[in-house]
Amino acid sequence: MNVLVCFKIVPDLDRLSIDDWMIDNCARVETRFVNKIINPYDESALELALKLSEQARGVGVAVTLQALTIAGGWANLALKKLRALGYQEAVRIESEEELSFDPEKVATLIATYIHNTNSIDLVMMGRQNSVGDNAKTPLLTAELLKWPCINQVTAVEIDTAGIYQVTSIADEGVITRKVKPPCLLAVGNAPFSYLRVPTLKAIKEQAAQPVKTLDTAELRLFSPFLPLISGVELLDLKIVNRKRAGTIIEGKNAAEKAGILYHSYLKGWLADL
Amino acid sequence: MPLTREQITDALVKIVGTDQVVTEEAVLKESSIDRFRRFEELHGVFTQPLPVAVVYVRNTNDVSAVLGFANEHCINIVPRTGHTATEGGLETVVENSVVLDGSSMNKIIKIDPYNMQATCQCGTSLQDLEDRLREAGYTTGHSPQSKPLAQLGGLVATRSIGQFSTLYGGIEDMVVGLEAVFPNGKITRIKNVPRRAAGPDIRHIIIGNEGALCFITEVTVKIFKYLPENNILLGYTLDNMKTGFEILREVMVEGYRPSVARLYDQEDGAYHFSHFAYNKCVLIFMAEGPKSIADATAEAIESIAGKHSECVKVDTRYLKTWFDHLNWDATDVARERAEIVETKNIGNTTEISANWDKINQIYETCIERIRNEIPDMTLVGGHSSHSYINGTNLYFVHYYNVVDCKPEEEIIKYHWPLKKIIVEETIKAGGSMCHHHGVGKHRTPWIRDEYGSSYYILETLKKAYDPEGIMNQGTIYPKR
Repeated sequence: MNVLVCFKIVPDLDRLSIDDWMIDNCARVETRFVNKIINPYDESALELALKLSEQARGVGVAVTLQALTIAGGWANLALKKLRALGYQEAVRIESEEELSFDPEKVATLIATYIHNTNSIDLVMMGRQNSVGDNAKTPLLTAELLKWPCINQVTAVEIDTAGIYQVTSIADEGVITRKVKPPCLLAVGNAPFSYLRVPTLKAIKEQAAQPVKTLDTAELRLFSPFLPLISGVELLDLKIVNRKRAGTIIEGKNAAEKAGILYHSYLKGWLADL
Repeated sequence: MPLTREQITDALVKIVGTDQVVTEEAVLKESSIDRFRRFEELHGVFTQPLPVAVVYVRNTNDVSAVLGFANEHCINIVPRTGHTATEGGLETVVENSVVLDGSSMNKIIKIDPYNMQATCQCGTSLQDLEDRLREAGYTTGHSPQSKPLAQLGGLVATRSIGQFSTLYGGIEDMVVGLEAVFPNGKITRIKNVPRRAAGPDIRHIIIGNEGALCFITEVTVKIFKYLPENNILLGYTLDNMKTGFEILREVMVEGYRPSVARLYDQEDGAYHFSHFAYNKCVLIFMAEGPKSIADATAEAIESIAGKHSECVKVDTRYLKTWFDHLNWDATDVARERAEIVETKNIGNTTEISANWDKINQIYETCIERIRNEIPDMTLVGGHSSHSYINGTNLYFVHYYNVVDCKPEEEIIKYHWPLKKIIVEETIKAGGSMCHHHGVGKHRTPWIRDEYGSSYYILETLKKAYDPEGIMNQGTIYPKR
């Protein structure tokens, strides 16, 4: 089984003091001077994959782990750290572009890599990023690949037949499902998922090994999903005014609530369109 | 005939009242240790004898009465306030110990801006005192990493130091007077004066005693004008520690006193400054005080650093997030605990000091030996954070994965061997094995080597002031 975990390195927003939240005229926060970390949801995905690999070994299933990020050369340190932790392959798609607000482009690059590699059974990634926070990348990637996607994943195991048992959180509680590969898991707020720490010895062993790097332009040439990434450019960001009144719809179940929503609110608005 | 646990508890209740004596098992367990044994604690393992009770004293007379009782019945007393000790000083290594907790004595007694001093009870949180002072335009100048949690009694008892010490000094430079209670119940007060020459300075019998001689009940410290608007933060990257030590030395020897003077090696620096200093050492200064002094200090530092071609100035905006997170509060401690449990990766520190001509040698030898001799290391590095005219300190930072051992074996397999390397190499080079965390219980094997012939003086203090040996056995002085 080949597992790919996608991750992103982001500014550690917890390190920003309130008076450092300098919002520029494009509604972006100044983060150039802040430490960078692996996006916490992605960190959980990376650790869950390591746990999966160990569990798989226990049941006699071989699992190989790959880590993928889209970033500049500054991300190599994190990729080497992941190799020191047991990832067999660490891949970087070369890009210095700001992609936080462009999930379509990110999803297309990831899907293209998976399509071209043609050996990935399971993809894991954090369900959302701290910057941008659109929570769309895993869903768009799965849609492009036409793979099933499970959101809010908190644990994953594999059985001897190669079937994944996936635990996820839903509004009403915890769901455990059996899933045949291929599939994509969007990891949510998973407990016990701090990424383990590699030893100095393991880091030293990986230090001289180069990171596999792919060129974005070259990748695009071979992308079956090209239409999605062409002609998309982030021009502007605006702060959404969220100060508005809200109404909580009460109902016995989702169907009743949807009925109230439609008859009391949407029907009239739709008629006016 | 020693008293039973029940008899001790009954007697304590008679002395201070039921509400002040806590005997719940969970409280006793966490009171049997400090941060040194947190790996055991996080795994629910408690290897030290549980104390009989934790006694929350309300005033100096309570302290005197409890100590008098303990002295009469040879009951080991472990004094504490903020419970932030790191070197095992709060471990209850003797059966039927009593933990004497001064954290309820938390009144700020007097802030005296004319004489520039503030008097507090031992349980006053340094953060509370500092907040009150800053509202009025003053500061203690004391800012240890534990500022949000630590309390005045413990800070004085361990000879603590803060991140701005190169200007303001350590706690021993700040304390002008004290009140302390000795094991026989004797209450002593040392008055608050600018200086004295009436014999030896007896403040220093109390400052740094780690609860092994007396219980500190009240502290008076100097205060200073707080002028943050004049602060100038400076940062540089450089290639090696030796150059950094030379720059620190030159700044000190030329007579400049920045409040912050810190030098991080590549490993420790990567932990804090990975966003701008990959594989580089980092040198940080802060000039503060009256504007003319701050400006002159910053100008001089720039000139000294500028003479070294490997020094590259850093945009101070890179340093601001670091500067804003110098202190650890309860949230940081909780996060650290969760990470340790999940990753089995734990970090500790060992701080030493030495003269300028020895410090780099100690640094290089210890780092090399730890890398070669200690298994499962994930980080070993260090920084200098407190400089003086004749030398500086080194704060070794060591993280490791706890592999193939029980929680109670973590100290034996990793922490003690690490500490042994650092302490032995430091003493061998003529340095001091403790810079600002105290001896605690885990550096006592080397206390005679640390003192040499002057151990006679230290030993005699214990005999004179604690002849029954009831004060925090095993701390500073080896367990009887």
